[in-house]
Amino acid sequence: MKPVSASMSSRQHQFEALVRGHSTDLYRYAYWLCGQDALAQDLVQDTFLRAWRALDKLREVGAVKAWLITILRREHARLFERKAMPSDDIDDLDLPDPQATPERRTEESALRQAIAKLDPKYREPLVLQVLGGFTCAEIAEQLGLGEAAVMTQLFRARQKLKGQLGFEDQTAEVSEL
Amino acid sequence: MNCLEFRRRLGSEPASKMGAFVAHREECVHCAGAQYRADEFEGRIHRAISVAAPLNLADRILLAQTTETRHSARNQRRGWIAFSIAAAASIVVAFVAVQRPSPNMPALAGMVFEHLQEHVVSAVDSDMAIPKQSVIEAFAERGINLASVPDGINYVHKCPAGPYETVHMIMPEHGVAVSVVYVVDKSSAHRTDFSHDGLRGREIPLGKGSLVMWATASADFDAIESSWKSVMGESIALEPGSVPVVSGSRGVLSGSSVYRAALAAP
Repeated sequence: MKPVSASMSSRQHQFEALVRGHSTDLYRYAYWLCGQDALAQDLVQDTFLRAWRALDKLREVGAVKAWLITILRREHARLFERKAMPSDDIDDLDLPDPQATPERRTEESALRQAIAKLDPKYREPLVLQVLGGFTCAEIAEQLGLGEAAVMTQLFRARQKLKGQLGFEDQTAEVSEL
Repeated sequence: MNCLEFRRRLGSEPASKMGAFVAHREECVHCAGAQYRADEFEGRIHRAISVAAPLNLADRILLAQTTETRHSARNQRRGWIAFSIAAAASIVVAFVAVQRPSPNMPALAGMVFEHLQEHVVSAVDSDMAIPKQSVIEAFAERGINLASVPDGINYVHKCPAGPYETVHMIMPEHGVAVSVVYVVDKSSAHRTDFSHDGLRGREIPLGKGSLVMWATASADFDAIESSWKSVMGESIALEPGSVPVVSGSRGVLSGSSVYRAALAAP
Protein backbone atom coordinates (compact mmCIF):
# COMPACT_ATOMS: atom_id res chain seq x y z
CA MET A 1 0.00 0.00 0.00
CA LYS A 2 1.35 3.38 -0.96
CA PRO A 3 1.20 6.20 1.56
CA VAL A 4 -1.47 8.80 0.89
CA SER A 5 1.17 11.49 0.64
CA ALA A 6 4.78 12.14 1.53
CA SER A 7 3.85 14.13 4.65
CA MET A 8 1.51 11.33 5.75
CA SER A 9 4.35 8.87 5.56
CA SER A 10 6.32 10.13 8.58
CA ARG A 11 3.08 10.46 10.56
CA GLN A 12 2.24 6.91 9.55
CA HIS A 13 5.63 5.66 10.74
CA GLN A 14 5.16 7.40 14.07
CA PHE A 15 1.76 5.82 14.42
CA GLU A 16 3.04 2.36 13.53
CA ALA A 17 5.69 2.67 16.22
CA LEU A 18 2.98 3.58 18.73
CA VAL A 19 0.81 0.64 17.79
CA ARG A 20 3.61 -1.89 17.83
CA GLY A 21 5.02 -0.51 21.09
CA HIS A 22 1.82 -0.19 23.10
CA SER A 23 -0.94 -2.37 21.66
CA THR A 24 -0.16 -5.36 23.88
CA ASP A 25 -0.17 -3.44 27.16
CA LEU A 26 -3.20 -1.49 26.04
CA TYR A 27 -5.03 -4.73 25.23
CA ARG A 28 -4.17 -6.11 28.68
CA TYR A 29 -5.40 -2.96 30.36
CA ALA A 30 -8.60 -3.04 28.27
CA TYR A 31 -9.08 -6.68 29.10
CA TRP A 32 -8.89 -6.07 32.85
CA LEU A 33 -11.15 -3.07 32.42
CA CYS A 34 -13.98 -4.82 30.57
CA GLY A 35 -13.27 -8.51 31.12
CA GLN A 36 -14.01 -9.58 27.56
CA ASP A 37 -11.47 -10.49 24.90
CA ALA A 38 -13.43 -9.30 21.84
CA LEU A 39 -14.54 -6.10 23.52
CA ALA A 40 -11.00 -5.41 24.68
CA GLN A 41 -9.73 -5.79 21.10
CA ASP A 42 -12.41 -3.38 19.86
CA LEU A 43 -11.55 -0.90 22.58
CA VAL A 44 -7.86 -1.01 21.69
CA GLN A 45 -8.60 -0.58 17.99
CA ASP A 46 -10.97 2.34 18.64
CA THR A 47 -8.39 3.87 20.96
CA PHE A 48 -5.68 3.76 18.32
CA LEU A 49 -7.99 5.08 15.59
CA ARG A 50 -8.87 8.00 17.82
CA ALA A 51 -5.19 8.46 18.64
CA TRP A 52 -4.40 8.51 14.90
CA ARG A 53 -6.87 11.31 14.33
CA ALA A 54 -5.47 13.27 17.28
CA LEU A 55 -1.80 12.41 16.74
CA ASP A 56 -0.88 16.01 15.99
CA LYS A 57 -2.00 16.96 19.50
CA LEU A 58 0.55 14.63 21.08
CA ARG A 59 3.38 16.94 22.16
CA GLU A 60 5.16 14.94 24.86
CA VAL A 61 6.39 11.61 23.54
CA GLY A 62 7.25 10.46 27.09
CA ALA A 63 3.61 10.73 28.11
CA VAL A 64 2.29 8.67 25.23
CA LYS A 65 1.31 5.66 27.34
CA ALA A 66 -0.70 7.80 29.76
CA TRP A 67 -2.26 9.57 26.76
CA LEU A 68 -3.32 6.27 25.17
CA ILE A 69 -4.70 4.96 28.46
CA THR A 70 -6.72 8.15 28.90
CA ILE A 71 -8.19 7.68 25.42
CA LEU A 72 -8.98 4.05 26.17
CA ARG A 73 -10.69 4.88 29.45
CA ARG A 74 -12.86 7.44 27.65
CA GLU A 75 -13.74 4.94 24.92
CA HIS A 76 -14.68 2.46 27.62
CA ALA A 77 -16.81 5.08 29.38
CA ARG A 78 -18.57 5.87 26.08
CA LEU A 79 -19.28 2.19 25.64
CA PHE A 80 -20.77 2.08 29.12
CA GLU A 81 -22.96 5.06 28.28
CA ARG A 82 -24.36 3.21 25.27
CA LYS A 83 -25.06 -0.06 27.05
CA ALA A 84 -24.59 -1.59 30.46
CA MET A 85 -21.55 -3.85 30.37
CA PRO A 86 -21.57 -7.17 32.22
CA SER A 87 -18.83 -6.99 34.80
CA ASP A 88 -18.77 -10.59 35.92
CA ASP A 89 -17.56 -12.08 32.61
CA ILE A 90 -14.03 -11.58 33.84
CA ASP A 91 -14.62 -14.54 36.19
CA ASP A 92 -14.39 -16.83 33.16
CA LEU A 93 -10.85 -15.65 32.58
CA ASP A 94 -8.55 -18.33 31.25
CA LEU A 95 -5.75 -17.08 29.06
CA PRO A 96 -2.76 -19.22 30.03
CA ASP A 97 0.77 -18.42 28.97
CA PRO A 98 1.66 -21.30 26.59
CA GLN A 99 5.30 -21.23 27.73
CA ALA A 100 4.57 -21.53 31.45
CA THR A 101 5.08 -24.79 33.37
CA PRO A 102 1.93 -26.61 34.58
CA GLU A 103 2.66 -25.51 38.19
CA ARG A 104 3.04 -21.89 37.19
CA ARG A 105 -0.08 -22.10 35.02
CA THR A 106 -2.09 -23.19 38.02
CA GLU A 107 -0.66 -20.45 40.19
CA GLU A 108 -1.21 -17.78 37.51
CA SER A 109 -4.72 -19.00 36.92
CA ALA A 110 -5.50 -18.75 40.65
CA LEU A 111 -3.98 -15.27 40.83
CA ARG A 112 -5.92 -14.15 37.76
CA GLN A 113 -9.11 -15.38 39.32
CA ALA A 114 -8.23 -13.47 42.45
CA ILE A 115 -7.49 -10.29 40.49
CA ALA A 116 -10.72 -10.73 38.56
CA LYS A 117 -12.65 -10.95 41.81
CA LEU A 118 -11.21 -7.68 43.06
CA ASP A 119 -13.57 -4.74 43.18
CA PRO A 120 -12.86 -2.55 40.11
CA LYS A 121 -11.82 0.33 42.37
CA TYR A 122 -8.94 -1.87 43.62
CA ARG A 123 -8.23 -3.68 40.37
CA GLU A 124 -7.90 -0.66 38.07
CA PRO A 125 -5.12 1.16 39.95
CA LEU A 126 -3.32 -2.14 40.42
CA VAL A 127 -3.42 -2.92 36.70
CA LEU A 128 -2.33 0.63 35.86
CA GLN A 129 0.61 0.32 38.24
CA VAL A 130 1.73 -3.13 37.16
CA LEU A 131 1.23 -2.68 33.41
CA GLY A 132 1.92 1.02 33.03
CA GLY A 133 4.59 1.40 35.72
CA PHE A 134 2.82 4.54 36.90
CA THR A 135 3.48 6.06 40.32
CA CYS A 136 0.65 6.58 42.81
CA ALA A 137 0.59 10.27 41.89
CA GLU A 138 0.27 9.49 38.17
CA ILE A 139 -2.49 6.95 38.80
CA ALA A 140 -4.28 9.47 41.00
CA GLU A 141 -4.19 11.94 38.10
CA GLN A 142 -5.44 9.33 35.63
CA LEU A 143 -8.34 8.30 37.82
CA GLY A 144 -9.13 11.75 39.15
CA LEU A 145 -8.51 10.70 42.75
CA GLY A 146 -6.29 11.84 45.56
CA GLU A 147 -2.86 10.23 45.89
CA ALA A 148 -3.58 9.02 49.44
CA ALA A 149 -6.78 7.34 48.24
CA VAL A 150 -4.88 5.57 45.47
CA MET A 151 -2.20 4.40 47.91
CA THR A 152 -4.89 2.94 50.17
CA GLN A 153 -6.60 1.19 47.26
CA LEU A 154 -3.32 -0.31 46.07
CA PHE A 155 -2.39 -1.45 49.54
CA ARG A 156 -5.78 -3.07 50.05
CA ALA A 157 -5.70 -4.65 46.58
CA ARG A 158 -2.49 -6.47 47.45
CA GLN A 159 -3.78 -7.44 50.87
CA LYS A 160 -6.91 -8.92 49.32
CA LEU A 161 -4.93 -10.88 46.74
CA LYS A 162 -2.65 -12.33 49.39
CA GLY A 163 -5.64 -13.08 51.54
CA GLN A 164 -7.32 -15.00 48.72
CA LEU A 165 -4.16 -16.92 47.90
CA GLY A 166 -3.20 -17.61 51.51
CA PHE A 167 -0.17 -15.30 51.61
CA GLU A 168 -0.67 -13.58 54.93
CA ASP A 169 2.99 -12.77 55.63
CA GLN A 170 3.26 -9.12 54.61
CA THR A 171 -0.14 -8.17 55.99
CA ALA A 172 0.81 -9.79 59.26
CA GLU A 173 4.15 -8.03 59.24
CA VAL A 174 2.52 -4.64 58.73
CA SER A 175 -0.08 -5.37 61.37
CA GLU A 176 2.65 -6.25 63.81
CA LEU A 177 4.50 -2.97 63.21
CA MET B 1 11.13 7.19 56.92
CA ASN B 2 10.47 4.57 59.64
CA CYS B 3 9.59 0.91 59.16
CA LEU B 4 5.83 1.47 59.34
CA GLU B 5 5.96 4.14 56.68
CA PHE B 6 8.23 1.94 54.58
CA ARG B 7 5.85 -1.04 54.79
CA ARG B 8 2.88 1.11 53.91
CA ARG B 9 4.68 2.46 50.87
CA LEU B 10 5.87 -1.07 50.03
CA GLY B 11 2.31 -2.35 50.15
CA SER B 12 1.06 0.34 47.79
CA GLU B 13 4.07 1.05 45.56
CA PRO B 14 6.74 -1.66 45.81
CA ALA B 15 8.77 -0.24 42.92
CA SER B 16 8.89 3.24 44.41
CA LYS B 17 12.08 5.20 43.64
CA MET B 18 11.40 7.71 46.42
CA GLY B 19 14.68 8.71 48.09
CA ALA B 20 13.53 8.11 51.68
CA PHE B 21 12.07 4.75 50.72
CA VAL B 22 15.29 3.58 49.05
CA ALA B 23 17.42 4.93 51.91
CA HIS B 24 15.38 3.06 54.57
CA ARG B 25 15.69 -0.18 52.67
CA GLU B 26 19.46 0.26 52.59
CA GLU B 27 19.69 0.61 56.35
CA CYS B 28 16.97 -1.82 57.60
CA VAL B 29 17.58 -5.55 57.07
CA HIS B 30 13.99 -6.56 57.96
CA CYS B 31 12.50 -4.10 55.53
CA ALA B 32 14.99 -5.16 52.82
CA GLY B 33 13.72 -8.72 53.32
CA ALA B 34 10.14 -7.53 53.06
CA GLN B 35 11.04 -5.75 49.83
CA TYR B 36 12.52 -8.99 48.48
CA ARG B 37 9.30 -10.91 49.21
CA ALA B 38 7.21 -8.07 47.85
CA ASP B 39 9.21 -8.07 44.59
CA GLU B 40 8.68 -11.79 44.26
CA PHE B 41 4.94 -11.35 44.73
CA GLU B 42 4.94 -8.42 42.28
CA GLY B 43 6.51 -10.71 39.68
CA ARG B 44 3.62 -13.14 40.12
CA ILE B 45 1.05 -10.34 39.83
CA HIS B 46 2.77 -9.04 36.71
CA ARG B 47 2.70 -12.47 35.06
CA ALA B 48 -0.94 -12.94 36.00
CA ILE B 49 -2.00 -9.55 34.73
CA SER B 50 0.01 -9.89 31.53
CA VAL B 51 -2.59 -11.94 29.71
CA ALA B 52 -1.60 -13.04 26.21
CA ALA B 53 -2.60 -10.48 23.63
CA PRO B 54 -4.20 -11.79 20.41
CA LEU B 55 -1.78 -12.60 17.62
CA ASN B 56 -1.38 -9.90 14.95
CA LEU B 57 -3.31 -7.38 17.06
CA ALA B 58 -0.99 -4.56 15.95
CA ASP B 59 -1.29 -5.56 12.27
CA ARG B 60 -5.07 -5.62 12.50
CA ILE B 61 -5.13 -2.18 14.10
CA LEU B 62 -2.82 -0.80 11.40
CA LEU B 63 -4.99 -2.34 8.69
CA ALA B 64 -8.09 -0.74 10.23
CA GLN B 65 -6.29 2.60 10.40
CA THR B 66 -5.06 2.56 6.79
CA THR B 67 -8.52 1.48 5.61
CA GLU B 68 -10.13 4.31 7.55
CA THR B 69 -7.58 6.78 6.18
CA ARG B 70 -8.31 5.74 2.62
CA HIS B 71 -12.08 5.87 3.19
CA SER B 72 -11.76 9.28 4.72
CA ALA B 73 -9.63 10.50 1.77
CA ARG B 74 -12.24 9.11 -0.63
CA ASN B 75 -15.07 10.74 1.34
CA GLN B 76 -13.13 14.00 1.29
CA ARG B 77 -12.90 13.77 -2.52
CA ARG B 78 -16.62 12.97 -2.68
CA GLY B 79 -17.25 15.90 -0.37
CA TRP B 80 -15.35 18.14 -2.76
CA ILE B 81 -17.37 16.91 -5.72
CA ALA B 82 -20.62 17.41 -3.78
CA PHE B 83 -19.42 20.86 -2.73
CA SER B 84 -18.61 21.76 -6.36
CA ILE B 85 -22.02 20.59 -7.54
CA ALA B 86 -23.71 22.51 -4.73
CA ALA B 87 -21.67 25.62 -5.58
CA ALA B 88 -22.60 25.34 -9.26
CA ALA B 89 -26.25 24.86 -8.32
CA SER B 90 -26.07 27.92 -6.08
CA ILE B 91 -24.66 30.01 -8.93
CA VAL B 92 -27.50 28.86 -11.20
CA VAL B 93 -30.08 29.61 -8.51
CA ALA B 94 -28.50 33.02 -7.89
CA PHE B 95 -28.51 33.77 -11.61
CA VAL B 96 -32.16 32.80 -11.91
CA ALA B 97 -32.95 34.87 -8.82
CA VAL B 98 -31.21 37.90 -10.35
CA GLN B 99 -33.17 37.44 -13.54
CA ARG B 100 -36.43 37.23 -11.65
CA PRO B 101 -38.19 40.37 -10.47
CA SER B 102 -36.92 41.54 -7.09
CA PRO B 103 -39.13 40.84 -4.05
CA ASN B 104 -40.15 44.50 -3.54
CA MET B 105 -41.35 44.75 -7.12
CA PRO B 106 -45.13 44.30 -7.48
CA ALA B 107 -46.18 41.18 -9.34
CA LEU B 108 -47.88 43.16 -12.06
CA ALA B 109 -44.76 45.23 -12.73
CA GLY B 110 -42.82 41.94 -12.84
CA MET B 111 -45.12 40.64 -15.56
CA VAL B 112 -44.64 43.86 -17.51
CA PHE B 113 -40.87 43.59 -17.02
CA GLU B 114 -40.88 40.04 -18.40
CA HIS B 115 -42.96 41.21 -21.36
CA LEU B 116 -40.44 44.02 -22.04
CA GLN B 117 -37.60 41.47 -21.98
CA GLU B 118 -39.34 39.51 -24.71
CA HIS B 119 -40.52 42.50 -26.70
CA VAL B 120 -39.27 42.71 -30.27
CA VAL B 121 -39.25 46.56 -30.42
CA SER B 122 -36.66 48.22 -28.26
CA ALA B 123 -37.57 51.48 -26.49
CA VAL B 124 -34.39 53.17 -27.70
CA ASP B 125 -35.19 52.34 -31.33
CA SER B 126 -38.48 54.27 -31.25
CA ASP B 127 -37.60 57.94 -31.64
CA MET B 128 -40.38 59.22 -33.94
CA ALA B 129 -43.72 60.41 -32.55
CA ILE B 130 -46.67 58.44 -33.82
CA PRO B 131 -50.11 59.89 -34.65
CA LYS B 132 -52.24 60.31 -31.54
CA GLN B 133 -55.11 58.64 -33.31
CA SER B 134 -53.15 55.37 -33.17
CA VAL B 135 -53.04 55.64 -29.38
CA ILE B 136 -56.72 56.49 -29.21
CA GLU B 137 -57.54 53.46 -31.35
CA ALA B 138 -55.31 51.12 -29.34
CA PHE B 139 -57.05 52.17 -26.12
CA ALA B 140 -60.42 52.01 -27.77
CA GLU B 141 -59.80 48.43 -28.81
CA ARG B 142 -59.06 47.72 -25.15
CA GLY B 143 -62.44 49.23 -24.28
CA ILE B 144 -61.21 52.62 -23.06
CA ASN B 145 -62.02 56.00 -24.56
CA LEU B 146 -59.34 58.61 -24.22
CA ALA B 147 -60.46 62.25 -24.29
CA SER B 148 -56.92 63.25 -25.11
CA VAL B 149 -53.48 61.74 -25.49
CA PRO B 150 -50.22 62.94 -23.89
CA ASP B 151 -47.60 64.31 -26.25
CA GLY B 152 -44.52 62.41 -27.34
CA ILE B 153 -45.66 58.82 -27.73
CA ASN B 154 -43.27 57.08 -30.11
CA TYR B 155 -44.78 53.61 -30.13
CA VAL B 156 -48.06 51.93 -29.30
CA HIS B 157 -49.16 48.31 -29.44
CA LYS B 158 -51.68 46.13 -27.75
CA CYS B 159 -49.63 43.57 -25.84
CA PRO B 160 -50.26 40.92 -23.18
CA ALA B 161 -48.55 40.97 -19.79
CA GLY B 162 -49.09 37.66 -18.11
CA PRO B 163 -52.85 37.04 -18.18
CA TYR B 164 -53.67 40.76 -18.54
CA GLU B 165 -54.39 42.99 -21.53
CA THR B 166 -52.27 46.10 -21.95
CA VAL B 167 -51.56 49.06 -24.18
CA HIS B 168 -47.82 49.23 -24.54
CA MET B 169 -46.29 52.64 -25.35
CA ILE B 170 -42.90 54.28 -25.48
CA MET B 171 -42.53 57.87 -24.29
CA PRO B 172 -39.24 59.75 -24.29
CA GLU B 173 -38.85 62.05 -21.29
CA HIS B 174 -35.84 64.41 -21.18
CA GLY B 175 -34.05 62.23 -23.74
CA VAL B 176 -34.72 58.99 -21.86
CA ALA B 177 -37.04 56.44 -23.43
CA VAL B 178 -39.66 55.27 -20.94
CA SER B 179 -41.73 52.15 -21.50
CA VAL B 180 -45.26 53.00 -20.43
CA VAL B 181 -47.70 50.13 -20.19
CA TYR B 182 -51.31 50.59 -19.27
CA VAL B 183 -52.74 47.37 -17.87
CA VAL B 184 -56.41 47.55 -18.64
CA ASP B 185 -57.91 44.86 -16.45
CA LYS B 186 -55.79 44.89 -13.29
CA SER B 187 -55.80 47.70 -10.77
CA SER B 188 -52.80 48.18 -8.44
CA ALA B 189 -53.37 48.41 -4.72
CA HIS B 190 -51.20 51.52 -4.37
CA ARG B 191 -48.50 53.62 -5.99
CA THR B 192 -45.10 51.91 -5.78
CA ASP B 193 -41.59 52.79 -6.87
CA PHE B 194 -39.03 50.02 -7.29
CA SER B 195 -35.88 49.08 -9.12
CA HIS B 196 -34.70 45.91 -10.74
CA ASP B 197 -31.75 44.83 -12.84
CA GLY B 198 -30.43 48.39 -13.21
CA LEU B 199 -33.82 49.83 -14.16
CA ARG B 200 -36.27 51.95 -12.20
CA GLY B 201 -39.96 51.30 -12.24
CA ARG B 202 -43.21 52.76 -11.01
CA GLU B 203 -46.68 51.28 -10.80
CA ILE B 204 -49.73 53.42 -10.11
CA PRO B 205 -53.42 52.64 -9.94
CA LEU B 206 -55.07 54.55 -12.78
CA GLY B 207 -58.68 54.39 -13.83
CA LYS B 208 -59.82 50.79 -13.62
CA GLY B 209 -56.34 49.56 -14.47
CA SER B 210 -52.73 50.33 -13.70
CA LEU B 211 -49.99 52.31 -15.35
CA VAL B 212 -46.56 50.70 -15.20
CA MET B 213 -43.43 52.60 -16.23
CA TRP B 214 -39.95 51.20 -16.74
CA ALA B 215 -36.86 53.22 -17.63
CA THR B 216 -33.24 53.82 -16.78
CA ALA B 217 -32.52 55.48 -13.45
CA SER B 218 -32.65 59.09 -14.60
CA ALA B 219 -36.16 58.98 -16.15
CA ASP B 220 -38.78 61.49 -14.94
CA PHE B 221 -41.78 59.36 -14.08
CA ASP B 222 -43.56 62.25 -12.35
CA ALA B 223 -44.18 64.14 -15.62
CA ILE B 224 -45.53 61.05 -17.38
CA GLU B 225 -47.67 60.09 -14.40
CA SER B 226 -49.09 63.58 -14.24
CA SER B 227 -49.94 63.67 -17.94
CA TRP B 228 -51.64 60.27 -17.84
CA LYS B 229 -53.64 61.14 -14.72
CA SER B 230 -54.82 64.23 -16.50
CA VAL B 231 -55.80 62.28 -19.61
CA MET B 232 -57.49 59.46 -17.75
CA GLY B 233 -59.49 61.92 -15.70
CA GLU B 234 -61.21 62.91 -18.91
CA SER B 235 -61.65 59.35 -20.13
CA ILE B 236 -64.77 57.25 -20.17
CA ALA B 237 -65.38 53.66 -21.10
CA LEU B 238 -66.43 53.00 -24.67
CA GLU B 239 -69.37 51.18 -26.09
CA PRO B 240 -67.86 48.06 -27.67
CA GLY B 241 -67.00 48.67 -31.35
CA SER B 242 -66.94 52.49 -31.09
CA VAL B 243 -63.77 54.45 -31.91
CA PRO B 244 -63.39 58.08 -30.84
CA VAL B 245 -61.60 60.69 -32.95
CA VAL B 246 -59.01 63.16 -31.74
CA SER B 247 -59.17 66.76 -32.87
CA GLY B 248 -56.29 69.12 -32.23
CA SER B 249 -53.08 68.53 -30.34
CA ARG B 250 -54.75 67.66 -27.01
CA GLY B 251 -57.60 65.83 -28.69
CA VAL B 252 -61.34 66.48 -28.34
CA LEU B 253 -63.90 63.77 -28.20
CA SER B 254 -66.57 63.67 -30.82
CA GLY B 255 -69.81 61.83 -30.42
CA SER B 256 -69.44 61.69 -26.66
CA SER B 257 -73.09 60.62 -26.32
CA VAL B 258 -72.14 57.10 -27.34
CA TYR B 259 -69.96 56.70 -24.19
CA ARG B 260 -71.61 55.12 -21.25
CA ALA B 261 -69.56 55.75 -18.17
CA ALA B 262 -66.71 57.89 -17.10
CA LEU B 263 -63.46 56.33 -15.89
CA ALA B 264 -62.73 57.39 -12.38
CA ALA B 265 -59.49 59.19 -11.82
CA PRO B 266 -57.31 57.72 -9.07
